[in-house]
Amino acid sequence: MEKRSAQGDKAMNHNTYQKKIPSMLPAGFLILVMMPLLLLPLASVFIYALQGGLQKFISHLVTKDALFALRFSLIIAFATACINTVLGTYAAYVLSKTRFPGREQLGIILNLPVAIPNVVVGTSLLLLWGPIGLFGQILEPFGIQPMFTAVGVLLAHIFVTFPYMLGTIKPVLDDMQTTYEEAAFTIGANRWQTFRYIVFPVLKGGLVTGALLTFAHSLGEFGATVMVSGNLRLRTQTAPLYIFSQFEAGNIEAANAVAAILAVVSFLLFSLIIYFTGRKYNWGHHR
Amino acid sequence: MSIPPLPLRKHRLLIKIVTVCLILALALWTIWPWLPSGSKNRPQTIVIYGFSILEPVITKSIFPAFQKKWQAQTGYDVEIVASFAGSGTVTNQLIMGVPAELALLSTELDAERLIQAGTIKTETWKRLPHGGVINRTPFVILVRPGNPKKIHDFTDLTKPGIRIIHPDPLTSGGANWAIIAEYGAAVRRPGANPDAGRLMLLGIWRNVVAQAGSARAAKTQFDNGFGDALITYEQDGIWSRAHGSTHFEIVYPRSTILSEHTLVIIDHNITQAQRDLIQAFTDFLWSEEAQRLFVSHGFRSVDEKLNSANREFGHIEDPFYISDFGGWRQAKSSIIDETWKNGVLREIRP
Repeated sequence: MEKRSAQGDKAMNHNTYQKKIPSMLPAGFLILVMMPLLLLPLASVFIYALQGGLQKFISHLVTKDALFALRFSLIIAFATACINTVLGTYAAYVLSKTRFPGREQLGIILNLPVAIPNVVVGTSLLLLWGPIGLFGQILEPFGIQPMFTAVGVLLAHIFVTFPYMLGTIKPVLDDMQTTYEEAAFTIGANRWQTFRYIVFPVLKGGLVTGALLTFAHSLGEFGATVMVSGNLRLRTQTAPLYIFSQFEAGNIEAANAVAAILAVVSFLLFSLIIYFTGRKYNWGHHR
Repeated sequence: MSIPPLPLRKHRLLIKIVTVCLILALALWTIWPWLPSGSKNRPQTIVIYGFSILEPVITKSIFPAFQKKWQAQTGYDVEIVASFAGSGTVTNQLIMGVPAELALLSTELDAERLIQAGTIKTETWKRLPHGGVINRTPFVILVRPGNPKKIHDFTDLTKPGIRIIHPDPLTSGGANWAIIAEYGAAVRRPGANPDAGRLMLLGIWRNVVAQAGSARAAKTQFDNGFGDALITYEQDGIWSRAHGSTHFEIVYPRSTILSEHTLVIIDHNITQAQRDLIQAFTDFLWSEEAQRLFVSHGFRSVDEKLNSANREFGHIEDPFYISDFGGWRQAKSSIIDETWKNGVLREIRP
C-alpha cells in the first residue's frame, strides 16, 4: 500500500515537472547566454572580494580611504538625484506642455549625455571651468576653482545623469490628458495649484523612479569623474575611482570589496525602482 | 505557541517602516564624519600627487613616520592627502590645476612640462638636495617562473614570439625610462654599431602586445597572466615578491638604466602658513630615516651606503644614468621622439 502511494506521489511530481520544464526553458536559455556575459563577471567580483574570508573582506572595507569613497559617492549621488529631480521635472514639463520653435531639437540636445562618452563630458567641463577655460578664467581672480573639488564632481554627475529624470517624467506627462489640467483651470486653480493637485500625484511614481535611477547612475559614474575629480583620496575620490585606483595598484581584494558593496547597493536600488514602477502600473489598471 | 501571520496590510506597513529606518540609518552613517563634533580642530594638510609605484611606500611608511615625527616636534596632527597615477597623467592633472603642493614625478621630463605649462616658474627642483632626486631604481625584466622563454637580457626580448607587456610612454614615466634602458643597453655593448639602439627598439616593440597607462597597471596586467615579459622598475618586482607574489622572476640585464625620481614643489599652491610644514616634509624625504624606508621597500637610496641594507638588490654589471645621454631633454628629443616615436613606431604600425 505504502509503496504504491509513494509511487503515485512520484508520478504526480514527475507530471508537474514535465509541465513546468517547457515554460522554464526560455529563462534557462537566457541564464545560459548571460552566464559568461554578465553573471560570471559579477560573481567573480564577489568571489575575489570574499576570497580571504569575511574578516578580510570587512578589513578591506573599513579602511579610511574606502569608507570615505563610499560616503562621498553616496553624498554626491544624493545631491545629484535631488538637483536633477527638480531640473529634470522642470525640463520635462517645459518640453511636454509648452510649444515653442526648436522644441524637438532642444529635447534631443538634453538627451545627448546618454550618447556622448562620459570622458568627453569630463574633458569639456575641464575646458569650461578649468584654469584655462572660459568660466575658469573669469573665476580664477576670485580664487574660485570648481574643478578638482566636490563641486566639479557634482557638476559632472548632474550633466551625465540629466537624461534619466527627463526620460522617466516626460512620457508620463506626454500621456497625461490636458483635460484634467483644463478642468482644474476652469474651477479657478492657478498654475501652481494645478501642478500640486493634478500633475504631481500622477508624477509621484515617476519622480521616485527617476530619482533612484539618477542616484544609481551617479553612484557608478566613472568616466567623467576621473577627469574632473583629481582622484584625491579623502577629498574627491568616489567609490568607482577608488576601485579603479586599487585595481591598478594590484590590490584586487580591496577593489572588489568596495565593488561588491556597490553591486549590492545597486541591486537594492533597482529592486526599489521595480517596486515603484510596479505600483505605478497597478494604478494604471485601476483607472 | 506559533506567531499568527500578520495581516497583509500590517505586513506592508512593517516593510515600509523598516525600509525607511534603513535608509535613514544609511544617511546618518554617510554624513557622520561631517557632523560638528565639538573640540576637534582640523589638522594641517599636505596634498601630494605621485607616480604609480610610489604608492605603497609613501602611504604605508613615509606618511605615518612623518606624522609621528611632526606630532612629536610640534604637537600638531598633520593629514596627508595623496593621489597616484602614471607620471604623465599626474603631470596633466597638475597642469590642469589640481590643488597639489608636492609632486613626485618619475622623470624630470614631466617636471620640464610643468615649466612649459606655467605651473611652476623655473627648475626649482634643481635647488633641492641631490637635484630633487629622492630615490632610484634600475630597470629590469620580469619573466614567468622558471624563465620558460630563456630571457636573459634585452636582446632576448627581440626574438620572435615573445609577448611583451610595456607601459605606455604617453602617460607613464616608467615607459620612458624603459625605452632609454633598451636603447642604452644596445649602444653601450662593446663594439656596437651606430644603429644598434634603433634595431633593439624595433625588435622589442614588434613584440609588445599590450600597453598600460602606468608601470603599476602594466604590472597588474602581467600578474593577471598576460604576456611573457614585462620591462619595469626593479623596485616593483622586489616589493611584490616581498608581498607574496610568485608569478615572476627578475632578470637583470647586463647593462641598464637607474631611474631617478624627482620631487617638485608647486609653489603657487602653498600658503604662507604651510611653508614650514612643507619644508619639514621635504627635508624628511632626504633624511636617513626616510631613505632607509625607501630601501626597505626596494628603492635604491641616493645615499649609496644605505643600499647594503636590502639583500634583494641584484647586481648590474654596467649601470648607467640619464646624464650619460646628456640629460632628459636631449634624450627625449633624440631617443624617444626621433628614434622611437618617429622611427620605430612608424615602421611597426605605418
